[in-house]
Amino acid sequence: MGTPGGDLIRVMAAGDRDAFARFYDRYAPLVFPFVLRIVRDRADAADVLQDVFWEAWRGAAAYDSARGTPEAWIITRARTRAIDRVRAVRRRGETFVAPVDEATVGAPTPPGGDAAVRAEERQLVASALAQLSQAQREIIELAYYSGLTQREIAERLEQPLGTVKTRIRLALARLREAVTPT
Amino acid sequence: MSHEPFETLAAVYAAGALDGDDLAQFEAHLPGCAECQAAVREAQDTLARAMLSARPQTPLPAVREALVRRVERTRGAGRRAWLTWAAATAVVAAVAAGFTATWVAVRYEARLGQMARETAAVKERLARNEAALQEQVALYRGAVELLRDPATRVVDLRGQGTAASASGRMIWNDAGGGHLFVAGLPPAPAGKTYALWTISGGTPRAAGLFGVDASGRSAHRIAPEVARGAVGVFAVTLEPEGGTPAPTGPIVLASK
Repeated sequence: MGTPGGDLIRVMAAGDRDAFARFYDRYAPLVFPFVLRIVRDRADAADVLQDVFWEAWRGAAAYDSARGTPEAWIITRARTRAIDRVRAVRRRGETFVAPVDEATVGAPTPPGGDAAVRAEERQLVASALAQLSQAQREIIELAYYSGLTQREIAERLEQPLGTVKTRIRLALARLREAVTPT
Repeated sequence: MSHEPFETLAAVYAAGALDGDDLAQFEAHLPGCAECQAAVREAQDTLARAMLSARPQTPLPAVREALVRRVERTRGAGRRAWLTWAAATAVVAAVAAGFTATWVAVRYEARLGQMARETAAVKERLARNEAALQEQVALYRGAVELLRDPATRVVDLRGQGTAASASGRMIWNDAGGGHLFVAGLPPAPAGKTYALWTISGGTPRAAGLFGVDASGRSAHRIAPEVARGAVGVFAVTLEPEGGTPAPTGPIVLASK
């Protein structure tokens, strides 16, 4: 396992570039599929990844292990940057998309689409999520991958706000069991 | 307020989905509540571990190379010197950060407002498109229904006079009314409109007024009430807006 992630960040904060390289080598292969799952474009994902690790290098001194694990520290950054990227791409896209096409932007990929694409999608899905029910997975994906707020999720799923909040809490409890080693 | 609702809010907050009053309330509560801080930390760690559990994929080596080059450059400038400089200018930076935060917040507010307006505009446009499509579908469905009846006739109308290049087709049923489809008709001049007449036994009967779109097309529905008795001839004339009891203007389309 080598140096714990938290120690790596502390050494990075002291300006140790080898620590940065080790930090990158440990976390980039884990963060990359996550970013790719959100932005769905390899070039965009590579850009986002570069921003995320550059910020990690610059911000290493601000890391406080009492406030969270290194994994939470890097994934929170990655999520914010990836969702920002999706929104920026969408805004740029809007100027070129004809009105009629806008209705289909949010439509799910039809079944029987490109098999290779679907196989890749499956690989990007975090395996822990596979242990949730379909409904629990959906709500976590809407919040964490799509960046929707509780109200937007309630509107999308046509469910009361209180139900959405409770469902998120229950899904997280189930997820906790899934990631806790037995 | 009991503490229980905060435990739910902590989960939603960790998932990044808290908004509105809930967010304000929770952020006011969080700094003073060790229990919620622990709950958020725990939930964030759970999410992080879950999200990092996909099959690892090594990104292109170019990403690593570019980062390592950038990191080298920050070292080249002397990180210690940079730190000293940073400490010396920390106060200035803090003030600047304050201004920047305010500026960013203001910009974000504006941006959010603009996005909300854009979304509303798109929704409205979609609703309009949908209404127009439904209207069109209803029209075509009516025409198809009419065509199922063996008693229905399809009559061609020819352009007359100045509108010689216009054409029309009437789907007509003496009991069920009809549908008129027109093409190549110039838009009616200001204060004028097109009027359809059904002529039986030499007597014209008003069968509605219609305009054409920019491409000279129109689809006009004739209600069953208008169809009283067998019609011999169909004609379209140009009339003053509001219509007239009997044709007065020039004939632009007529059946044989």
